[in-house]
Amino acid sequence: MFILTAVVLVSLVGLGLGFQRGGRPSFREDDEGPLALPPDANEKTEWAFARLRYPQFRGEGLGRWWASRGHWTVDYPKADRTFVQGVRRLTRIHARSVEQVVDLDSDEIYNWPWIYAVEVGHWQLTDAQCKKLRDYLLRGGFLMTDDFHGTFEWEVFTASMSRVFPDRPIVDIEDSDSIFHVLYDLDKRVQVPGIYPLLRGMTYEYDGVEPRWRGIYDDKGRIMVAICHNMDLGDAWEWADHPDYPERYASLAYRIGINYIIYAMTH
Amino acid sequence: MFELLCKYPLIVFTKGKIVFLSGWPWWLFALTLAVCCGVLGFLVLRKASSSLGRRWVPVWLLQCAALGLILLLLWQPALSISTLKPQQNVVALVFDDSRSMAIRDEGRSRLEVLKSVTSDPFINDLKAKFQVRLYRLAGGLEPLESTSALDAQGSATRLAPALRQIVAESASLPVGAVVLFSDGADTSGGIDARTMAEIRSRRLPVHTVGFGSETMPRDVEITHVEIPRRALPDSHLQALVKYRQRGFSGAKTKLSVKEGEKLLASREIVLAKDGVERIEPIIFQSGNSGVKNLQVSLEVVSGEENQANNAVSRALSVENRRPRILYLEGEPKWEFKFIRRAVEEDASLHLTTMLRTTQNKIYRQGINHPKELEEGFPAKLEELFTFQGLVIGGVEAAYFTPAQVELIRQFADRRGGGILFLGGRGGLSDGGFTKSPLADLLPVMLPDRKQTFVRDPATVELTPAGRESLVARLEEDTQKNIERWRKLPHLANYQDVGTPKPGATVLVDAVVPGRGRLPLLVTENYGAGRTAVMATAGTWRWQMQQPLEDKTHEMFWQQLLRWLVADTPGRVSATTPEPVLLDDGALKITARVKDMSYLPSGDAAVEARIVGPEGLSAVVDLHPDPAEAGSYAAEWTAPRPGGYAVEVIARRGEQELGRDAFAFRREDGVAESFRQEQNRELLEKLAEQTGGRYWRPSELDRLTREIEYSEAGLTVRETKDLWNMPVVFLALLGLRAAEWLLRRKWGAV
Repeated sequence: MFILTAVVLVSLVGLGLGFQRGGRPSFREDDEGPLALPPDANEKTEWAFARLRYPQFRGEGLGRWWASRGHWTVDYPKADRTFVQGVRRLTRIHARSVEQVVDLDSDEIYNWPWIYAVEVGHWQLTDAQCKKLRDYLLRGGFLMTDDFHGTFEWEVFTASMSRVFPDRPIVDIEDSDSIFHVLYDLDKRVQVPGIYPLLRGMTYEYDGVEPRWRGIYDDKGRIMVAICHNMDLGDAWEWADHPDYPERYASLAYRIGINYIIYAMTH
Repeated sequence: MFELLCKYPLIVFTKGKIVFLSGWPWWLFALTLAVCCGVLGFLVLRKASSSLGRRWVPVWLLQCAALGLILLLLWQPALSISTLKPQQNVVALVFDDSRSMAIRDEGRSRLEVLKSVTSDPFINDLKAKFQVRLYRLAGGLEPLESTSALDAQGSATRLAPALRQIVAESASLPVGAVVLFSDGADTSGGIDARTMAEIRSRRLPVHTVGFGSETMPRDVEITHVEIPRRALPDSHLQALVKYRQRGFSGAKTKLSVKEGEKLLASREIVLAKDGVERIEPIIFQSGNSGVKNLQVSLEVVSGEENQANNAVSRALSVENRRPRILYLEGEPKWEFKFIRRAVEEDASLHLTTMLRTTQNKIYRQGINHPKELEEGFPAKLEELFTFQGLVIGGVEAAYFTPAQVELIRQFADRRGGGILFLGGRGGLSDGGFTKSPLADLLPVMLPDRKQTFVRDPATVELTPAGRESLVARLEEDTQKNIERWRKLPHLANYQDVGTPKPGATVLVDAVVPGRGRLPLLVTENYGAGRTAVMATAGTWRWQMQQPLEDKTHEMFWQQLLRWLVADTPGRVSATTPEPVLLDDGALKITARVKDMSYLPSGDAAVEARIVGPEGLSAVVDLHPDPAEAGSYAAEWTAPRPGGYAVEVIARRGEQELGRDAFAFRREDGVAESFRQEQNRELLEKLAEQTGGRYWRPSELDRLTREIEYSEAGLTVRETKDLWNMPVVFLALLGLRAAEWLLRRKWGAV
C-alpha cells in the first residue's frame, strides 16, 4: 500500500511538474547546446541584442523553491541570435550577429539604449540597480521584458519595478500606440506561447491566461519599459525554425520584437 | 611767413592754376637753357679747371640753376585763380546749435567760444565783401538773425541734410562758400556719398571751424552695438559691443544686456587702452516671442564725465514662428532618436522625420497630415520648400533621383534654406556622395574612397572659430565652454569628410587616437542659404553617458538646427536699414517678395502695417523697385519716439504670398550724448573733399581773407604774377651766395 501510494504521489508530482515550464520533456535538446560564434561576431554595429543580467529572486519558503527556477539566461543565446537574423533580414538596422550581456552594476549599460530582460518574474534588483535602471531609462534607454507569467511572477516583477519608478504606473498599451504600428500594424495580437506549454496543448502558464502588453511611460508619453506579460516571445524566436512551432506565433513574436526595437530607436 | 615770402596766401597756390604769360613756347625755354648751360660749362671748365679740379661741376650746376630761374622768370609765370565777385555772392554761415555745443571743455562752453569768435568784427568783415546769411543747425536748418539767438538746445546734428539744403538754395542764389561752425558730432552717422557728390558738383567749398576738445579726458562710451534684429524664442544671441574709453585703462566694469528691468546677461570686462576701440561680445537669451527693447550698457565708472553715453537701446523681434525641418534618415540609428528627442524639447522648431526602416518602408513622424510625404522624399518644389531646413543622414546619394538632387540644390541656393549632412555608414563618401552633384553642396571636399565611417571612439575639441560660434556655445564663458567640450563623452563613431572647402568654417574637430584631428562640424554659406556637415552619428552618447540633468546634447542640437533655419527667409522678407532712428523719424521700408516657386515676384501688392507708441497705427503701400525684380520700397516717417512693429504683407490677387515682421525704434535726444569729442576727422574730410579748409576758432581772421577764393557763385578769374615774389629773389641770391661760399672754401676766389 505504501509503495502504491508513493508511486501515485510521485506520478502526480511528475505530472504536475510536467505542466510547469521547469520540467523539460524531450525536445531536440541538441538545439540548446553551445552555439559556435558567427564569423562576424566582432563586427561593430549600430544595434546589438543587449540581454540584461540581473540578480536572482531569493524568497522564503515557497519563494526559495521559486528562486531555483527561471533565470536571466533562459533561451540564451539561441533566441537572441535567431531573432537577430530576422532583424537583419527584415529591417535596415545595422545589427550585430551576437548578443551583448549587460548588467546594472557598471556604466556599460549606457552604451546599449535597448535592453531585453527575460524571466523578470524571477528578478530581484538591489536599490543601486533600481536607481541605475531608472537613470538609464530616463536618459533615453528602453527595456523590453518577456517570458514571465501569472500573478506570482507579476508580483515579483513589480516588487523591483516599483522601486525603479515608485511614481509611475504600469498601464496597458493602447492598440493605437505607435509601438504597435512603427513598422508592422499589430492590432490583432495573440498570446505567444512557450514551447513546453505548447507541446501540452496550452498557450499559457500558471494563471497567466490573458496576454498583456503593458508599459511605463515617461513624461512626454514615450514608452520606456515595454512589458510582455503572459507570453514567451523568447521561445518563439528561439524555436522559430522548429517544424513543430507554429509559424503564426513565431512571426508575431518577430514582428513585436522588431517593432519594439524600432520604436526604441525612433521615440 | 608763407605769405611774406610768397606774396599770396597758401590757398592761392592750392586752388590756382600756374600759367605763363609770355606766350613763348616751352621748347624754346629748353633750348635756351641747354645752350646757356653748355656755354657756362665751357667757360667754367676753361677758367677754373686748374684751380678747382673736379669741383667745377657743383659750381657749374649752381650757375645753371640761377640761370634757369632767371629764364623761367622771363617766361612770366603767374597763377590764375577764380575769386568771388565782391558784394555779389552769398556766404552761408551755418552754426551747430545742438546740445553738444553746450559742453564745457576748458571752462567755457563750445557755444560761448563760438559766439566770441564770430562776434561783430568777424561778421562785419565778411559783410564788407559778401552778402552773409546765418543759419542755425539744430535738427533741421533754420535761418538765423544773429548768433546771440543760439542756445545749444537742438536735439540732433544732421549735417548731410543741412548741406543738401544749402546746395539746393545755391541753385537760385549765388552761394560762394559755406562756413560750418560745429563740433562735428553728427548724430546721423556721418555725411553720405550722395551729399558729398552734390556739393562737389556745385564746386561749393565748405570751410569748417571745429569747436571742442578732441579728446574727453575721462569717459567710457559705447560707440556701436551689433545685435541680431530678429530671433527665434529662447535662442542664444550675441551682442558685439564696441566701446572706447579714456582715463580708465585697466579698470573693471560690467557689460550688461537688459530688457526693461530684467537682466538678461552680465559680465565683467577690463577696460582697454585709452582711445582704442575694442569689441566685447556678450551672450544672452532671446526669451519669449514679441518685440523687445534691449538696453546694452557699460556700468558707469566712478569719475566719468559723461554718463549718458554708456548705454544704447536696440529693438529685437523675437518671432513667433516655428520653422520646419525635414530629416531624412537612411536606417534606424540611435542618433536619429536622440536628435528627435532634443528637438522635441524646443518649442521653436518643428522636426519632421522620414526613416527608412526597411528597404521599401519609410516611417514618418512629425507630419502635419497623414498624406504628407506619403510618396516618399519630396519630388516637387512646393512640397520641399514648405520646410526651412533639411537634414540628410546616412542616405546613399543614389537614393535621390536627378530631379530631387536639383531640388535639394535649389532648396539652399534659391529658397535660402539650410541643409545639414550627417555622418553614417550610408552617408557622405560611403554613400557615394563624392561623385554626386550633391557634393557641391557640402562644405568639405570628400575623400574619394569608402569605409570612411568608423565605429570607433573619438573625442571632440572646439576650433578657434568654434570658440566664437553660437552654434557650439554650451557655456557663456568662453574658457568654460572650451573645457566643457573637452570633457564631453567620446563619440560612438566618426567619419572622415576630407578637407574643408575654401570659405567653409570648421567649428568642431574630432580627435581620433592615432589619427589626430578630423573636421567634425563644418559650415558654409551656399547661395541664399547655408550648408553644414556633422561627421558623426554618435553624439547620442553625450545624452546616455552624462547625468540626466546635463543638457549638452539637447542644447547642441537645438542650436545647430536653429542656426540651420533661423535665417531661412519666407516668401516675404522685409527690413529697414537702421534698427534705431536717432531724432529723425524718416525711414525706408524695403521688402523682397517671391512667388510660390520662390522666384522674384514683381506684380505683388505689398503693404506695411505699422504699430507704434501710444496706439499709433498706419498702413503704407510699398512700390516696386524697377531696378530689381521682386524688390519693393516705401518711405515713411515715424512721428514719435518709441518702439515700432512693422508687418509687411504681400498678395497677388486674392492669394497671400507671405508676410514678414520686424521692429525698430525711434529715439530722440539721445544721440547728442554720444561722440561728444570734436569730430575733427569728419570736419577735415568734409572741408578737404569740397575744396574748403578746416580752421581752428583762433584762425578766423584768415578765413575772411581766404574765403573769396571759390569757384562757386559769381566769380571772376584773376591772374597773379609770380616773378616778383620775394622768395624768387631770395632763391637767386642764395644760389649765387652758395657758389661764392664754395669757391671761397676751395680757395678759388
